[in-house]
Amino acid sequence: MRALLEGLFTVLKHLFMRPVTLEYPEKKRFQSDAFRGKPSVKIGENGCVGCGVCKKVCPSGAINYEKDENGKVISYTFDLNKCIFCGNCMYYCPHSAITLGQNFELGTADKSELKLTYKGGSEND
Amino acid sequence: MKTTAATLKLNLGPQHPSTHGVLRLILELEGEKILSCEPDIGYLHRGMEKMAEGMTYVQYLPTVDRIDYLAGCFYSELFCKTVEKALDISLSQRVRTIRVVLLELNRISSHLLWIGAFLMDLGALSPFFYAMREREMILRYFEKLTGQRMMYNYFVFGGVRKDIDYLEDIEEIIKVLPKKIEDYEKIITDNPIFLTRTRGKGILEPETAFNNSITGVNLRASGVEYDLRKTDKLYEGFEFTPVVLDGKDAWARYKARVLELRESLKIVEQGVNILKDSEPLRQKLINPLTLKLPEGEYYSEIEAPRGLASLYIKSTGMDKPYRLKWRTGSYYAVNLLRRLLVGEYLNDAIAIAGSLDIILPEVDK
Repeated sequence: MRALLEGLFTVLKHLFMRPVTLEYPEKKRFQSDAFRGKPSVKIGENGCVGCGVCKKVCPSGAINYEKDENGKVISYTFDLNKCIFCGNCMYYCPHSAITLGQNFELGTADKSELKLTYKGGSEND
Repeated sequence: MKTTAATLKLNLGPQHPSTHGVLRLILELEGEKILSCEPDIGYLHRGMEKMAEGMTYVQYLPTVDRIDYLAGCFYSELFCKTVEKALDISLSQRVRTIRVVLLELNRISSHLLWIGAFLMDLGALSPFFYAMREREMILRYFEKLTGQRMMYNYFVFGGVRKDIDYLEDIEEIIKVLPKKIEDYEKIITDNPIFLTRTRGKGILEPETAFNNSITGVNLRASGVEYDLRKTDKLYEGFEFTPVVLDGKDAWARYKARVLELRESLKIVEQGVNILKDSEPLRQKLINPLTLKLPEGEYYSEIEAPRGLASLYIKSTGMDKPYRLKWRTGSYYAVNLLRRLLVGEYLNDAIAIAGSLDIILPEVDK
């Protein structure tokens, strides 16, 4: 009996504590700078040179890019249908051209929006 | 399974909210008594082993976190450990300590979720919220350090992704958590309702456990001292006592996990003290594009939260494994239900299944 009352008292104590839940989406939760969200790539100067490391380390085959006749990268695609946000491409990129950003709200009704194509440093979708 | 007029065949799961994940138990009942139990697994099968045969080691590394999403670090560590063994790489003191600290934090978060889920199985809702709240502290730390809450991809062959940081956050966890564990104990441990539902339920004799390859907390709660961490090189220099209880029932398994939380905290505390005094990280990482394992067979094991986990790799000298096999604790725990549930009442089935800490991604792989 004593244990039961002690338990109830502890639960009651919790009743008067500050709530820890958040009213999403009005209030956003804490998010660290290292968070791995929506991937993006920088093309052009100091950016992607098309070495192909990202493609080789990607576990799900989500990365594709095209080069022109001079060997320059002209477009770069992340397929979010396949991406598992593991960050391998970012970690192994020798030119630090890829970043996995803060955006995690990637839900969409249009499947084609999940193919992120980057051209010359800007996103085209 | 033959059903007669006097018996009833009942499907428990896979969508039953009380079961963990997608476990399906086909029960044969006579009244409320269970005559036989047939677990049906495979609903979460992702082909983790076959998949590895078509992937390079570096490609496969981030996916192993998903074998047990509540304790992803352990499988990363196991995979890295096996590859490091094959390549004959030794780890520096700092890398070892970082790994131990993260593994134990991960173990705590996994046990906390189990406590919450187990109590929810029994119909108590509040402890679930309390446990989730404390687990959140640990997950938040993991997010700060690794970038994600559950799929860390932080351990790499020969080291870790980057040096450990935010040690003050871990210190905060070490400070806050013991009080919270005390609170759980006040609410749960001696609660008469909880005692009636768990005491003497699902008795696991050591012989049955041995015959069914049960390891981890479930085995230690049956009075067998078997903790791989005691002999693991990774844990060399850390002081802790393996929790061994001889209650053999569901209550003992609960108590053992709560006590293990405290032991894990001790290890984390020792680890943090070492990390504070040691030099910054220096490690030599392997080039992912040239990584090939020499021909041969490699095996290593680790004490995961749900029992012994081991990995066997057969390599033919290529950049991909020829064959890879995971051994996970939950797989054997599910199989044990065939024996443990027979003769028990339906009401206790959930309590017993819950007490074994089964997680389905680990079972189905």
